[in-house]
Amino acid sequence: MTALTAPAVRGGRRPVPWTRLAWVTWRQHRFMLAGVAALLGGLSLYLLIMGLKIRSAYASLAACHPATSAGCQMLASLNAGYHSTAQTFTGLLQVVPVLVGVFAGAPLLARELETGTFRFAWTQGCGRLRWTITMLALLAAALTAAAWAFSVLFSWYYHPFFAQGLDGVLAPQLFDLRGVAYAAWTLAAFAIGALAGAAIKRTVPAMAASLATWAGLDLATVLFLRKHYEAPLIAHGANPGFSINSWVVSQWFTGPAGQPASQATIRTVMQHAPASVQNAQDPGVALAWLGQRHYTQWWAYQPQSRFWLFQFIEGGWLLALSLVLLTATIWLVRRRAA
Amino acid sequence: MNAIETSGLGKRFRRAWALRDCTLAIPGGHVVALVGPNGAGKTTLLHMAVGLTTPTAGAVTVLGGDPAGSPDALNRIAFVAQDAPLYKNLPAADMLHLARNLNRRWDQRYAETRLTDLGIPLKRKVGKLSGGQQAQLALTVALARRPDLLVLDEPLAMLDPLARHDFMASVMEAVAEEGVSVILSSHVLAELERVADYLIVLSHGKVQVAGEVENLLAGHRVLTGPASETDDHMQRMSVVNCRRAGAQSHLLVRTTTAADPVPPGWEAHDVGLEELVLAYLRQPGAAALPGPVAVHAGPSAGRPGYGGPA
Repeated sequence: MTALTAPAVRGGRRPVPWTRLAWVTWRQHRFMLAGVAALLGGLSLYLLIMGLKIRSAYASLAACHPATSAGCQMLASLNAGYHSTAQTFTGLLQVVPVLVGVFAGAPLLARELETGTFRFAWTQGCGRLRWTITMLALLAAALTAAAWAFSVLFSWYYHPFFAQGLDGVLAPQLFDLRGVAYAAWTLAAFAIGALAGAAIKRTVPAMAASLATWAGLDLATVLFLRKHYEAPLIAHGANPGFSINSWVVSQWFTGPAGQPASQATIRTVMQHAPASVQNAQDPGVALAWLGQRHYTQWWAYQPQSRFWLFQFIEGGWLLALSLVLLTATIWLVRRRAA
Repeated sequence: MNAIETSGLGKRFRRAWALRDCTLAIPGGHVVALVGPNGAGKTTLLHMAVGLTTPTAGAVTVLGGDPAGSPDALNRIAFVAQDAPLYKNLPAADMLHLARNLNRRWDQRYAETRLTDLGIPLKRKVGKLSGGQQAQLALTVALARRPDLLVLDEPLAMLDPLARHDFMASVMEAVAEEGVSVILSSHVLAELERVADYLIVLSHGKVQVAGEVENLLAGHRVLTGPASETDDHMQRMSVVNCRRAGAQSHLLVRTTTAADPVPPGWEAHDVGLEELVLAYLRQPGAAALPGPVAVHAGPSAGRPGYGGPA
């Protein structure tokens, strides 16, 4: 067989170093990574500028005397404008993780399988397992880290609104974007995309499947799962005594005998209330009136103090899910009969 | 050392067997031609040999016993898949750099020199190269890995005659200079005749012929004689295939020695590789394998017995 005497020939029996595979990963995915960097970079710049503006606006408002003057009222309405813009913006940011999953995760293996280049990549000296593990691990780490850094910046940007008590930290559209959740959702989106690509083997269907799966998972979490991370606290009566920014997960009425009362029953009872009660601005008035008739309103709520507990529960299961999906992807590559 | 060794190797896709009961020992140091009609299982066999496909049954080892697809095997086998898949959006130079980083053994100077000699611009994207240049680039990437075994799946299918000639010349140069073993599948018989010294014919997922070309050619000849006597001779000789043309019949027969008597009134000719392959492909029941092989005797099929060269 071939004599390996030429000095130009490198290598021996040791495996291909990770750093070489890292270069391959970078060379093949640098446009995707640049795209993610440009997207997050652009959004970060916006957050930075707006964050500074909002801070100076609240500082001016705090320094404004007397607070009831027309000038101060104008400042306050300006700040309300910042707040509503921020709320719209958070809606936009929800989709960034799924974009990563669809554009970074799904094509990763699907494109190799679709164009046939896997026959090149998987027959090189490094072997397909090392190739797959390096690529998945490096890209997952890079994207997760970028998402985490971005969510730290977002938390800074949004902090003045929390400080003003305008939003609860457990509010669904804000919870996802802060703490460890944003990074975890990004990682999950990438893992879903990678597995879909390996299983479906075609880029566009894999993108569609990962989009649908991620959206379904996100919706199910927000609507059904998250509220059960910890048993909600219960409050009732006219003065329930929990913060307005707590996350109310359900509310209901009970009748005089303690039996559940439907909304219709409450409406019927309320028809007998005097006009002063019916037209009262403060809902506590109606509740007090109902209380005199032994109708009680109940709330199940999650207090804001559970934010980090919930963050780590959600981050934890998403991390576990992502690891399972990535393992399944590696297993599919290993097992795949071309 | 055997380049590829299979025992009872089989691969089933859904319900159909792409390859079945394949037992082969392909010795190293040869240029092996793997021929057969479309769907015969050529690609499946090669994919299993390079570890891309896992067998449904049996086992395959390469280069003296390494399991196919193991790190040691991958390190010493270079594979150029059908249509020479490379990353089309990478410049040729980056393609080399990529392959260099994916392999333990790599000869960068050889790769660059070869591309320069071939006139393939290093800065041009792979997708912008001609079909022949892409095939040559894929071959360069494979050879720069300094493999002990080079596996080529239908390397000539997409190439024009000139590119075919150049491609095969490159392969033969590597064989002469590096002593690399080569196995290539193709249905372009004419191209293989000049280069291959070992032949495997696959048909309908089964190995029909396997042996050194020289021995195969020596072990077969064509007898031409009157059609009226054909049936009589077919009873007594090991006939692979019979073609009748008017009053004459052409029989491809197996001979055990060069001195086999020619029946009176008949003429004997040496057989060419292409003629031999075509004769076997026309008779899927016939086989020429090392060792005893049972075949179904049809009206004009070969006989059960000890076929072909040992």
